[in-house]
Amino acid sequence: MLKTFLIGIKDLRLAFRDRAALILMLAAPFVLTLGLGLVTGRFSGNNNSGLSDIPVIIVNLDNEQLGNALADVFTSEELADLMEPSASSDPEAARKLIDEDEAAAVVIIPEGFTRSIVPQQGDFNNPDAVTAEPVRIEVYTNPSRPTGAGIVKAVVDEFLSRVNEGSLSGGVSIVQLMLSGRITPDQAEAAGIAMGERLQTGTTDSALAIKINSSTADGEEVDFDILAYLAPGMALMFLMYTVSYGGRSILAEKTQGTLPRLLVSPTSASQILGGKVFGIFLTGAAQMLILIGASSLLFQLKWGDPIGVIVLVFAAVFGATGWGMFITALARTPAQVANVGMSITLIFGIMGGSFISLDQMPPAIQTFSKIAPNSWALDGFTTLGLGGTLADLSSPLVALLSMGTILFLVSVVLFGKKNLVQK
Amino acid sequence: MKKIFAIAWKDAIVRFASSSELIFFILLPLIFTFLLAGGTPSNDDDNRVRLVVVDQANTVISLNIIAELDRSTAVRPEVLPLDEAESQFDSRRATVVLVIPADLDLQAIQDGTARVDFRQQPNNLNATVAERAVQTALRSVSSAVNAANNAVKTAEENGTFESETDRQAYFEESLKLAQTMQADSPERVTVVEGSTPDRIEYDPRASSSAGQLITWVFIPLFGISGLFAYERQQGTLRRVLTTPTSKATYLLGTISGQVVMALVQMSLLILFGSFVMKLNWGREPLALFVILTAAALAAGAIGTTMGTFIKTEGQASGLSIMMGMVMALMGGCWYPLELFPAVVQNIVKILPTTWAMQGLLDLVIRNGSLIQILPEAGVLLGFAAVFFSIGVMRFRYE
Repeated sequence: MLKTFLIGIKDLRLAFRDRAALILMLAAPFVLTLGLGLVTGRFSGNNNSGLSDIPVIIVNLDNEQLGNALADVFTSEELADLMEPSASSDPEAARKLIDEDEAAAVVIIPEGFTRSIVPQQGDFNNPDAVTAEPVRIEVYTNPSRPTGAGIVKAVVDEFLSRVNEGSLSGGVSIVQLMLSGRITPDQAEAAGIAMGERLQTGTTDSALAIKINSSTADGEEVDFDILAYLAPGMALMFLMYTVSYGGRSILAEKTQGTLPRLLVSPTSASQILGGKVFGIFLTGAAQMLILIGASSLLFQLKWGDPIGVIVLVFAAVFGATGWGMFITALARTPAQVANVGMSITLIFGIMGGSFISLDQMPPAIQTFSKIAPNSWALDGFTTLGLGGTLADLSSPLVALLSMGTILFLVSVVLFGKKNLVQK
Repeated sequence: MKKIFAIAWKDAIVRFASSSELIFFILLPLIFTFLLAGGTPSNDDDNRVRLVVVDQANTVISLNIIAELDRSTAVRPEVLPLDEAESQFDSRRATVVLVIPADLDLQAIQDGTARVDFRQQPNNLNATVAERAVQTALRSVSSAVNAANNAVKTAEENGTFESETDRQAYFEESLKLAQTMQADSPERVTVVEGSTPDRIEYDPRASSSAGQLITWVFIPLFGISGLFAYERQQGTLRRVLTTPTSKATYLLGTISGQVVMALVQMSLLILFGSFVMKLNWGREPLALFVILTAAALAAGAIGTTMGTFIKTEGQASGLSIMMGMVMALMGGCWYPLELFPAVVQNIVKILPTTWAMQGLLDLVIRNGSLIQILPEAGVLLGFAAVFFSIGVMRFRYE
């Protein structure tokens, strides 16, 4: 047992003395997390959606209450991180800016927009007011910025749905009052104008009749640090590099002659192999814990329930170590392990969701991704980041431990066939 | 010239001595291009955000909500049972899930107790769009009930009802009227797409394909640093000293060989993009050649400079991968630059990957011509000139 432990510690020391390995074990995931934090706006205090400061130009030719209310929506506190609005009074100049790719969209609120919705004095007796074409807001979008333009359109739609709701409410109330004889047609205009005034003041704060609970699967409010998804994604990707690096050392020791030397000592093959596996496990766990510690200290990243994090780290490293052993058992030279290991690192990285969300992958790849320990571990870290505890990690833990056990057993059989560590 | 060719040929032999180099040269780039570019919807598909809906109510109201979502330009509802939706959400195969609970009906809206659950993945910007779309749909469906409630309230302000039955009848008449008026309500927004000159439809697959092309070509070109370190470690650089070969000849041979290999690699990826993924890569072949060559020279120059600082082949390999990935990420090769904060968008202009990506997007997305990509090509050649100068000045045989 002591020998196994000592071999493991020796491999841990060797790994952390190898500057070249440290670049990919620690520097790469850290720098990539830093980069992802920058591009998602995490370090500039923006929202967690990954999208921020969408340049939008507001041309308010209406200059009355509804037009002003829509302009105010874009400058509101709620959308402060998401939108970067600027005002213009010239629709043509604003459209030109879109054509030159200077903004995501222009919202043109035409003159008379408010008056086309809110009844004015004399409208009830004016046939032209009743039959007039509705005045439409124009959203002039930039086709090369579809996401930003889509969000601008969604904001306008949401505002108009509130306007329509108010308009409908006023209209129904007046008609019903008249039909029920509570007011006379002569009184309708005054009542309509009063309703209109209420509509104008109510557009910015009308609540939804059907409330939305934004929540996780556990029903808790979403308050998620995007880095709590990105950082484990990168750490897990480069964990695969670490385990293949460890596996490579088994073959390297054979090539360099240190493995036969170990075998002439009173140390059994199983102790050597166990020590090497233990070394890979320790190195992977140390890598993960250093990255977690560093990101907690430097980025104030909250990883969630500490016990859950530690158990998940060990399970993820166990699953990944199984892969490291499996690759080593199949390879013939250290170079093969290095190349295949780096390939698996990147492929598991993309399949596990370190680069793009899994739901954007074809369904077959989504299913296939379950062979990657990254995928299960990232599910677990996401659960913890969203406030889950150890009790919520049963699926990822079972999957990772099963994966590690199966791969380890297969590797032992393959090692036996290759007589890798036989005296 | 013969020496330059001989050095380039020797480097090709060294690089491809192991067949596993083909994994990085072509296999991984193809897998990444397929997964990232192929995984995103093309213009022929419905590219609205997929919204998983669980309808536990199965009432007129819940069906109206789903119908309203289906009319949305932002989301595409897909109705699934709760366990399937939760399974997809937990395994991150669904970005957003809307659960309409069993008690959501007209009475609940009337009482003000109606609620729906909206679950979103933490890292997904589509959730922002989906939540707005859900709000719009819910408001649209509930507005008739709201209007009827308000009508009752207004009526009560103008006189009382004789009985609860009268009050309910008034509500129902108001609701019917509201539904009729809502159906006849005019459209109040027009969407017009910008008319950039010679523009084509935005194609996220072309964007992803360009990004992967740059990522996988920059990494091996940064790996030129590894070639220098390898030869220095092997002592073969010292041997070159004993031959009548100048420093310039050696560097030119090494770098040009790698740049030519990069061009071959890029051509294969472009052929894959054109023929397998049906991307519009071949519209301006000369402009494409210019921007690819400029990008390869810039990356090769950076690799040369790196090679003068790095001591071992292992360090070179790790640094090439790390720098290649970081520059690709920051240069907009993995995620569109428009998603970055404005300050970061400006900062990343110091990276060659940003200019290379911009040039390729000008060609494939904005239908640019040779003239239009010349500024990007010029900046990339500027990078090449600066870093080659540093590399040549610092280069030592030992």
